[in-house]
Formats: sequence, C-alpha cells, structure tokens
Amino acid sequence: MPKSLAATKSPFKGFAKKKKTLILLSMIAPGAIWLILLRYLPMFGIIIAFKNYKIFTKAPSLFNNIMHSEWVGLKNFKFLVATSDSWVIIRNTIGYNALWIVLGLIISVSFAIMLKEITKKFVAKTYQTLMFFPYFLSWVVASYFVLAFLDPTRGLLVHLQKAWGMEVTNWYNDAKPWPVILTIANLWKNVGYSTILYLAAITGIDACQYEASSIDGANKWQQILYVTLPHLKPMIIILLIMNVGKIFNADFGLFWNVPKNSGPLFPVTQVIDTYVYRALMTTNNPGMSTAAGLIQNVVGFICLMGVNNIVRKVDEDSSLF
Amino acid sequence: MKKVLSIVLCLMMLTMLFTGCKKDPKVEDAGTTPDATTETDTDKATVTEAPEVVAESETAEPVTLKWYLHGSNVTDDSAVLEKANEYLKEKLNVTLEPIWGTWGDFDSNSVLAINGGDDVDIYFTCSWSADEYNAFAKKGAWVRLDNPENNLVEKYASDLWGQLPSVLTQGATIDGSDGYGVYAVPGYKDIATQNCWDVNVDLLKKYGYTVDDIKNTDYYGFGDILKTVKDGEGADFYPLLVEGAVLERMVNNSIIVTGDSGTSNLLSYYVNPADTAAEGAYGNTILSKFETAEYKAFVEKTREYFLAGYIDPAMGNSGQANDTRSAKQLTGDYLIGTQSYALGYEVQVSKERGIEVAMVPCTPAYVDTTSSQGAMMAISTASKNPERAMMFLNLLNTDPYLFTLLDFGVEGVHYNLVNGEAVFTDKRADYSPWTNGMGNVTQLPPQEGQGADFQETFKAYYGAAKEIPILGWAFAPAAVETEMGALANVAAEYALALSTGTVDPAEKLPEFIQKLKDNGIDKVVGEANTQLATFIAAKGN
Amino acid sequence: MNKNKTRKVGSRLNAVSIPTEIIINIVLGLFCLLCIVPFIFVAIISFTAEESIRQIGFSFSPVKWSLEAYQYVIDLGDQLWRSYFNSFFITIVGTVISVLIIILYSYALFRKDFKYRKFFTFFAFFTMMFGGGLAPTYMVCKNMLGLSNNYQALIVPMLLNVFTIIIMRTFFQSSVPVELIEAAAIDGSGEYNTLFKIIVPIAKPGIATVALLTALGYWNEWFIAMLYVRDPKYIPLQYLLMQMQNSVDFLVRNSAMIGAEAGKIMGSLPQESLRMALVVLIVIPIACAYPFFQRYIISGLTIGSVKG
Repeated sequence: MPKSLAATKSPFKGFAKKKKTLILLSMIAPGAIWLILLRYLPMFGIIIAFKNYKIFTKAPSLFNNIMHSEWVGLKNFKFLVATSDSWVIIRNTIGYNALWIVLGLIISVSFAIMLKEITKKFVAKTYQTLMFFPYFLSWVVASYFVLAFLDPTRGLLVHLQKAWGMEVTNWYNDAKPWPVILTIANLWKNVGYSTILYLAAITGIDACQYEASSIDGANKWQQILYVTLPHLKPMIIILLIMNVGKIFNADFGLFWNVPKNSGPLFPVTQVIDTYVYRALMTTNNPGMSTAAGLIQNVVGFICLMGVNNIVRKVDEDSSLF
Repeated sequence: MKKVLSIVLCLMMLTMLFTGCKKDPKVEDAGTTPDATTETDTDKATVTEAPEVVAESETAEPVTLKWYLHGSNVTDDSAVLEKANEYLKEKLNVTLEPIWGTWGDFDSNSVLAINGGDDVDIYFTCSWSADEYNAFAKKGAWVRLDNPENNLVEKYASDLWGQLPSVLTQGATIDGSDGYGVYAVPGYKDIATQNCWDVNVDLLKKYGYTVDDIKNTDYYGFGDILKTVKDGEGADFYPLLVEGAVLERMVNNSIIVTGDSGTSNLLSYYVNPADTAAEGAYGNTILSKFETAEYKAFVEKTREYFLAGYIDPAMGNSGQANDTRSAKQLTGDYLIGTQSYALGYEVQVSKERGIEVAMVPCTPAYVDTTSSQGAMMAISTASKNPERAMMFLNLLNTDPYLFTLLDFGVEGVHYNLVNGEAVFTDKRADYSPWTNGMGNVTQLPPQEGQGADFQETFKAYYGAAKEIPILGWAFAPAAVETEMGALANVAAEYALALSTGTVDPAEKLPEFIQKLKDNGIDKVVGEANTQLATFIAAKGN
Repeated sequence: MNKNKTRKVGSRLNAVSIPTEIIINIVLGLFCLLCIVPFIFVAIISFTAEESIRQIGFSFSPVKWSLEAYQYVIDLGDQLWRSYFNSFFITIVGTVISVLIIILYSYALFRKDFKYRKFFTFFAFFTMMFGGGLAPTYMVCKNMLGLSNNYQALIVPMLLNVFTIIIMRTFFQSSVPVELIEAAAIDGSGEYNTLFKIIVPIAKPGIATVALLTALGYWNEWFIAMLYVRDPKYIPLQYLLMQMQNSVDFLVRNSAMIGAEAGKIMGSLPQESLRMALVVLIVIPIACAYPFFQRYIISGLTIGSVKG
C-alpha cells in the first residue's frame, strides 16, 4: 500500500482501535463488576488471619470487629506447623494430588479418545452419560457405598473373604490398602467430568484433518499422536496448570467421609483440610481458619505461577496468562 | 505490566477499606437510637434509676426482638406468633420475630451471624453448640447481665432469678469480656448428668440373670455375663453396645471438662462415685486423661472384651459408630449399652424398642458445668434493646401461658389437654421447636404418659443432684489454642480406637502417649490446673 | 488416489479395527458399570423398608422392600413441588445469565488483540486463588447487596465461575480460527455481531459443555441456600435433602451432650431410606436434562467456512 494511503488511514485506524477496545471492555464489564463485588470486596477479610478476632461490643459488625481486634502477626499460623505430624499431612496432601493429577489426565484423555472411536454413536452417548453419574452423588452417599463393601461384619468383601476361608481384614483399621481405595474413589468421581471437557475439545476437530492424514498413510496411533493430541494440548495444559494451583488443597468430602473418620487410618488419610477441620472444631477461632486457607492459597498460587511460567517459556499460547 | 497490576490491586483493596468505613451504618447509629440504650461499657455515665417495677416509659416504644433458636423443626409459626405477639404487645410492647435455626444449620449460621454483627437480639447458646457460651462470652458476643453498672438481672429479671436453682445461676457465672459475671439466662431443664448402663432386661432374663447382677458388679466384672450371652446368641451378636468416650467416663468416673469439648476430650476430672459433692480420687486437679493408670487398665480390659467378640468393630470409627449404635438400640440388638440419662427415659425407650430396658446408674446424679450450661439464652451485644430483651426473657421463664404457647403451640390447635396432660395433634408436625431448648420447662404441662405430677418429680430429682466441687469452672483454651489444635488430631487418631478395643493397647497406648507429649499435652494440663487453682481460690472467698 | 471414494453411512473408513473396538467397549463398559452401580444401590435403599436397614444395614438385597420413603416424600406435598420449582427456576435462569456473562468475558479474553487481555485474565484468575473467606462474603452479600430470602440470593453468588471462564476461553482457542474474526471485521461486522452470529455457532460444543457444568452447579447447590435463605418458599430441592442430612449428622455427633432427648428427636427425623429417595429424586431430572446438552457436545461440527 502506498505510504500516503497508509498515512491517511491511520487516524481512522486509531479511532477504530479505540472503539474495538471499548466494545471488548463492555463485554468484560458484567463479569468484572461481579468479581469486584463478590470476590474483591470481601478480600479485606484476609486480615482476620493476622488478628485475634474479638467482637467490638459497643457496635458490633464484621467490619468494626476486625478493625478493633489486635494484631497478632503469625500466631494464628502456628497450629499448622506445631504438630509432630506436619510432614505426614503435607506428604499425603501433595502426594495424592500429584498422583491423581497424572493418573486422572492419562485416564480421562484416553477415555475421551476411546469414546470418539466408537462407531455406534448411541453407545458412546450412553457411556458418556453413565460416566457422569458419580458427579451427582455426594461423598456422604458414596461413603455408604464403600461401607457396603468394607464393613467388618456385613460388608460384601468381608463375606467373600469368609467364603473363601481367608482371614477377615478389618478394613477400617488397616491403613495399607487405603491409598488404593482412595485413588479408585477419586478417579471414580472425577474422571467423568474431565472426560467431558476433553471430549468436547476433540469434537471441535475438523474431520477432514483425520481423513487427510489417513490418506497420507498415517495409522490410528499416528493420527492420535499428530492430530488429536496437539488439538487437546491447550485443554490439557490449562487443566494441568489449574490443578497444580490446587495442589495444597484436598477434596475434603473424600478424605472425611470415605474413611469414616477412622483413627488408625490417619497416617494415610489425614490431609491438610481434615487436619484443620479437626483442629478448629475444638477452638472455633476465625483467625486460625482464615490463616489455614491463606497458606493453602499462597502455596497453590506460587506453584501455579511456577508451572505457568515454565509453560509460557515453552509455548506462550498454552499458558494461562 | 506486572507492576501496574499489583499497584492497581493495592489501590482497589485500599478503596474497599475506605468504602467499607463509609458504608457501615452501625458505627453511626450507636449514638442515635431513640430507646434508652444501656451501654455495657463501664466508662459510660451511670444510670440513676432505682431498680423497681418496669416503668411505663420504658415500654413506650414498640420494639421487635429477634430470637435465634436451636433445633427447631418449624414450617408454620403464624398461628402461634399471632397469639404470642398479641400477648407480648399488651405486656411489653414487643413483637417477637423468632429465627428457627435447625439442628443442621444452627452451628454455622449462628456463628456467622454473631461474628458479622447481625441484628439478632437473643441467641441460644450452651456449652456444646458452635456459639459456645464460655468462648463467646470472652469474645464479647454476650451482654453481661449482672453488670454492677446496669444490672439487667436486678432491674428486669428478679422474678426469674429467684426461681432458678442455685446450681444454674452458679454455673452461668463465668469469666467473660466484661468481668466475672452472668452472661446468659440459664434454661431450667434436665440439669444433672447421670451416666447409666442401658440394660436389655428381656435378654438378660433369658439367660437367667437379673438386673441386680449388673448392679452388684462393675465393668471389670461383666465378663461372665457377656460370655454367656454371646455364646448363646452367636457370632454376629455384640453384647456390649458402647460409645467409646462415654464408656471411658463411666468406668473411670471422670467428667467432661467444659472447654475441652472438641472432637476428643483430652482432660479428665475425677469425681467421687459415692458422693459427687466430695472430691474424687485425685482431688481438685485436672489430669491428662490418657496417661492415667485408670485409663490403661480400662483399655486393656476393653481390648479383652473386643477380642472375645463382645464389641462391634464398627464402634471404633466415629463415622460409623453412631449410626450403628442408634440402629442397634432401636432393634434391641444388644445387652449392655451406655446412656446419659434423663428422668423418665427408660419408660420412653422401653416403649420405643419393644423390650424392657433398665437404667443402672454408675454414680448418683451430679451437676457439672457442662450440664448446668445445657441450654441458655444470651443477649447479643449487637442488640439495640437489651433491656426489652431481658424483660422478655423474664416473662418467658416465669409465665406458664407464654412459655407453653411458644413451646407447645396453641391449645386446641397444636395440642389438647387431656387429664392434665398435653396430647399433641397432627398440626404439631408443622410447629416443633426444641422443647427443652427454650427455657424453663418446668412451666410446661406434663406430656402424654409422663403423669400429672411429672414436674414435681422432675424438680425433686434434679434438685437432689449434687454439685461437683468445681462447678462453675470452665477451661479457657485461648492460651494453648495451637497445642489444642494439634492434640485434637492426635486424639482423633487414637482415642476412639483404643477406647473400644479395636487396636492393641500394648502397642498403641505408649505411641499415643508419646505423641501427646510431643504435641504439648503437658502445657495444656499445666494451664488447666493453673486456671482451676485460681478459680478455687476465688471461690473460697 | 482415493479421492473418489464415497463415504458410506456407518462405514468403517478410518475407524479402529474391530478387536480394538471390542476392547474399548469392555474397558469403558466396566468403568461405566462402576459408575452406575452405586446409584442403583442408592435406588435400592430408597425402596428398602426401615426395619431391614436396622437389621442388616444397607444391602443390595434387603430383607424387606417398601414404598414408605416415597410415601413420605409425597406427603411432604407442597414443599416438595415448591422446592422442585425453585431448583428448576434458579437452574434455568442462573445458567442462562451465567453462560451469557461467561461467553462475553471469555471471548474478550480470547481476543489476542484486546489491549487489556493479560490484565483481565489475571484479574479473574487472582480471585480463584485468594478469597476473603466465608464471613466477609456472607456479610457483603447479605448486608450490602441485600441477598437474603429471595431468588437473587440463590442465583447471584454463583453467577460467575472463573474456572469455567478459563475453560470457555480454551474452547474458543481450540475451535475458532483467528482468520474468521479478521474476515468478519473486514466484512464490516460489529464485535457483538461477530460473536453471536458467527463465533457462537462454531463454539457450540464448548458452550454446551460450559452450560452443562453451570447447570449442574446450580442444581446441586445447597450451601448457599443454607446461608442466605430461611423462608421455605425459596428452598431448593438439594437443600431440602441436606437439611435432613445435616440435622441427623449433628444429633448423632452431639448425642452425648444433648443427652437422652437426642434419641427421641432422631426418631422423628426422616430416616435413611427417605434420604436416599431424595437423592434419587434429585438426580433423575438432571440426568434427563443431560441428553439435551449432549446433542451439542458430541455432534461433530464441520467447519466449512474457512475453506476457500
């Protein structure tokens, strides 16, 4: 384009750019307002973690109470580390999460790919619907199901053990099998959810791409490697990053309900969330509960930013930001 | 870009703090309410009125009182409130607005309401709800009722105060944010604790025993009876239906130390089983429950019973224990169980379970701080009308008409009086507050089956209960909160399993004790004893 | 080469071999069995007589069957239908508004040429990591925004879910080619026009997925109801269930403290079979709604618009 033409177009272009930005901002607006009101505004509550929360008897309101409570620095954080079991708790939380992130990823992606390959669409749809059912059941209800198998007197597994003349295990007292039991339980609940996300991403792939590659002589495996997986990459990476952000948080419902609160299992079932909950049932100190949440958030945040930066260096498009 | 981001975020948070300042109306309102707002703050001007009958001028303004209750199952309170408000308007110029908290939501919602300064006037509180009486009194949630400056009790609740048994008023006197005093109106209900062996008499008789055989022995002597019945009933029958923590207290004569009532109790105070008013085996000291010789003997015996098949393994984990226990009780599938007693209970459950049930007590009935603080009504510091709230509570607890109306419902609609006893109608299902959680239940007519002179028996039984030496003392864990948090988890890991015999004490008990020591149990026990010593010294004066 | 081959309906062109497909079916079939069996278990319990539960606990083959749980549910009468209506209402209204806001927000985030893209991504994302906690949020919602005992209280607190925004943005990234937007701009289409007339039809699987997840979130929510709603008029179905569940849990945990009364009170609360019946009644409607969303998720879309 001749320079003069470009020059005449530029003020118009500048204006068009501004207009575009404004319009896009208007799209952001509803969401942003919601975030400010319901997320940023309450954030002032974080300072409760650093105070000894007392009620301001002259004119009690949350705000007054916070403002008039005294600063205690990091005192509310101590209970998280003052236990002889800190290492066990942290190991359990991070260990289970890391294992399940990897396992969940492999299984969900595989299931999504498998679902796509089923020729009878009706069958695939049925599988997909059924896979989702565990998401509807709360952990409370699911724990009864586990109980039906493992109850030391009436459980199905126990009956089988008796029938085969084996020694009956007191499942809720023996810590050894529980990492496996919990892993199966977690996968059962969450795989359906992730599979849907991956499946939707795969569905967006143009069928012609597969045809083209098969014409080029690619077999199924190669098609998966070179067409499907690259398309799934953004979704896989985003979910991975977000899961890493939650690596210090555990699924409370799972760890509280399924082991039925059995003490002897603590070495493999006690995670940060259950530890904090038990500790706070005794003391009911809002400062301590806020402090616990804050630590979990901060650690998760640091891990997440770390992973995000690594991803950004490798492939900027796939990173979270 | 990142720098800009962080600056923007900081600015946003700062603006929020400022807007928060402006938006909060309560700070402005504090000085402008028209009613004579009594300040609990001691450096405000003293009131010069003499304590006397409620003056006309004090009830001149119509006021709405919000009353937050526990354990309610109320879907339709219109009929009751219509009558109640009519009556209250006439007497006190008050409109009542009850908040019907249920068993499931009271704990979380009441704490949110208190911490957030919601405009609720009266809260239910006690030693075991989430808005625990002692802890929240220290936090400043409750108005001190016997503050010498503005003595609400003296001015507006003298009738009520006279009627309450002294154990209750004593139990309610604690150390709170405004000094040592009373911070709530205690509810006169079953105030004594008495743990009993819950015995399935029919089953007992089947094997040729009588209740006296149980009475004449103790836990350590049950072995033979249990063996006979177990052999007779088969492998799937578990004769001992025990709640681990209660069992321990029954066998060792220890009580729940108020203030240490979290997931698992760590501290023990031993009572004297012959005379609960006298000091027990260890005098007036608090001990670490799990390190005593009594506990060791107890778990060893329990392990023996477990291995012999007398205890259901399900009782060993708290998630399962209670469901199992309730189910088995209802079908009568047990021989001996543990039960905390209330007057008339054995008659009631015999009917429910279809078997003859006897309650064999381990100690005489006694009053400890926990049971004396079983149900109370506290006036919130966020209330704009504490005097009116006090007047209401006074009327509620001394006026049988009002109390029965609010507790049972409207006569003729929710219940009918038949021979002096209250028989509930279908409508009761729409209006079922927690009868024992409203206040002075001795004002109620007896319920169906209790007998016309129930209230007299009630007062006699509970009146005879003796106070333990440390009544009125509650442990304040604030100084050792960190340790308590860690210890709660240690106890949750070992206590129930040991107390029900599901793990081997030879291995686990030393491990448990070591872990307790590692996590600061000595500090906690030391703190408890220091506080107790101070209390006893003060009491002596 | 093979360009003249016609695609027959149901042809196995480019499909996996039959043995592989059988294996796939076995694997997925077993997993789905594992997923559905607990639900069948729940359904069986809901038809079990209370005595059977007391005698042998929960079992796949109860001693005695009964319809008493469902009878009790029907007896709940008005409250049940009211709660069903509430759940439907807040789910539908909430999902529609929520998906709209999410599409707008994530579309703007998707546009690489949006000047404040990075800022607003971080803005949303930060809230996922840090929060003020329950008490401050409760105070803001209840006192400042007036969300108490009304439908807004059940809809607004869940309107936005940052996780869903990020997912939606990722769907846009996977399925929408950037050239399409440029082409539309050159053709003179305004931003909103481009979004709704051109992009949305292409991103249907993604949008349907997001809508499904949002709807599920609204349908299953009970905690918000517990906090903000007291009037039975507004209670959603899931909270009706949880109310009973929580009450029983509380009584069971505190039976020693409440003493002898606890047993009496528990006797009057709905029992296990009823709670399971409620679970069944809650899951059935949403399970039925599922195929509606599925149509959009599984259908393969061909993008013919970019081709020359």
